[in-house]
Amino acid sequence: MLVLTGLRKTFHAGTPNEVRALDGVSLRLADGEFATVIGTNGSGKSTLLNAVAGTFLCDEGRIELDGAQMGRWPEHKRAALVGRVFQNPLGGTAPQMSIAENMALAARRGLSRGLAPALTKALRAEIAERVASLRMNLESRLDTPIGTLSGGQRQALTLLMATWLKPRLLLLDEHTAALDPKSADQIVRITAEIVARDRLTTLMVTHSMQQAAQLGTRILMMHRGRLAHDLSGDERARTRSDDLLARFDALRRRDQMDEGVAAMLRKQHV
Amino acid sequence: MTLLVGALTIGLALALLALGVYLAFRVLDFPDITPDGSITLGAAVSAQLVVSGWNPALATCAGFLAGCVAGAVTGLLHTRLAINGLLSGILVMTALYSVNLHVMGRSNIPLLGARTVPDQLAELCAPLVGRSELNVFGWSVPAHDAAVLLGFLGLAVATALVLLWFLRTRRGTALRACGGNAGMMRALGVDVDRQIVLGLALANGLAATAGALLAQYQGFADVQMGIGMVVWGLASVIIGEALVGGASLGSLLAGALMGSVLFRLMVAIALRFGLDPNDLKIVTATFVLLALVAPRWMRSWKAARGARGAG
Repeated sequence: MLVLTGLRKTFHAGTPNEVRALDGVSLRLADGEFATVIGTNGSGKSTLLNAVAGTFLCDEGRIELDGAQMGRWPEHKRAALVGRVFQNPLGGTAPQMSIAENMALAARRGLSRGLAPALTKALRAEIAERVASLRMNLESRLDTPIGTLSGGQRQALTLLMATWLKPRLLLLDEHTAALDPKSADQIVRITAEIVARDRLTTLMVTHSMQQAAQLGTRILMMHRGRLAHDLSGDERARTRSDDLLARFDALRRRDQMDEGVAAMLRKQHV
Repeated sequence: MTLLVGALTIGLALALLALGVYLAFRVLDFPDITPDGSITLGAAVSAQLVVSGWNPALATCAGFLAGCVAGAVTGLLHTRLAINGLLSGILVMTALYSVNLHVMGRSNIPLLGARTVPDQLAELCAPLVGRSELNVFGWSVPAHDAAVLLGFLGLAVATALVLLWFLRTRRGTALRACGGNAGMMRALGVDVDRQIVLGLALANGLAATAGALLAQYQGFADVQMGIGMVVWGLASVIIGEALVGGASLGSLLAGALMGSVLFRLMVAIALRFGLDPNDLKIVTATFVLLALVAPRWMRSWKAARGARGAG
């Protein structure tokens, strides 16, 4: 279970570029829950994911995963519990190394890395089997440098790497955003398969209302560094992508109204 | 012929430097110029110990460890104090000049008459080459020289093999991946900073060992001997990559080894045919510059020709 309590993060504090990226986010994600996170640009959805992953330390708040207080842990220590897939398909794999070597790296996520050979026969066989489950015909190309593959293929392999050792929490950061529509669909399918098979607790940021409505058991909508809506249960089940768009418009209208009122007040009193 | 054998032997000693430079520049993607200082450090430490009666093999190992410390300092400056990688190397290299003078107590330590690693290797390899002069394609080679050459060859190949083994272990693959994609390795639970420190320690340990071997082979350690050695190592690596065409890890390591020998050979031939030794560094630097720029020129030239052809 993931418990976030009052997370706050301000970037460039005290400068004209000050951004209050997280403004008190609290969240409780039960085991096996699959939440999609949506929001406008700059709403803090990716910041939220990076805060949990440990890319930076939060100014305030607590991050607890399965009882471990990991809010002050460095990124690489959190990785023992957390699997991640990045938006950039180049981000999750080492390009000059082969598919098999990349997988072997992931097979030791968070474990000690001693002087045993990275690739054994047994591990190779297991890699071939798991890569075959992607149904992308990559199992015959295990010694190919991963940098020669397409974005979709690399992202599928990164998904496999993030979940090779079952993570307590899977973080997906707009992991289909940089792909063509066909590859994106494929990655969505593989994501759903893996998360369902391993019953993974998952937090997935997406820019696509369609994906948010289609995937997961819960929808979190962020706005201005806060959780604006949290849809679960029956409410989540009834939600369509049009409903999400309507809620977005409502948030935007409120913003415009706020600004309009502020401008009016300025006019009258200044 | 003595010239040729000498060039080959020195090329093999410097192959360790090339492996170190390969590790830092290519595997870690870290422009480390500490070896300019650490190669002298290895020479200084081992020479001082050999003169004071240590077993030369042990003295060389001590040189390796001293180089490791120098590399680790560069790594720590970069990772803990957030100093630019190139500058970290420059700082350590500059500081090492004084350290080396202190280690040696003067600017030059002659090793004439002392028992050295080449002597040990020659004894080891003597049964393989016999006791008298060797006849190679009509040239006569003293058995001692041939034995030393053989010994250095064995040492260089063994070092490359150990490095290859290491880079294929769990720790070694993690090290390689940190050079290619540090963000990914953090997400896989690896402390990237520690890997950089480890890699630079190893790279400079190799450079220092090359320095120790070189000093013992040429019979002296000199505080100036490290100047320009990173560029030298880089030239060897580039030649090696051209030789093997950039395929697998094993062939790239073998390439660095062959590149070092070939480059030393080319230099020896150029000197033999009248290249002023004072011009050696500028020729080496120009060579590396051309090797870095030529591929880009070739591409733009081809692109321009392609565009003309299409238009």
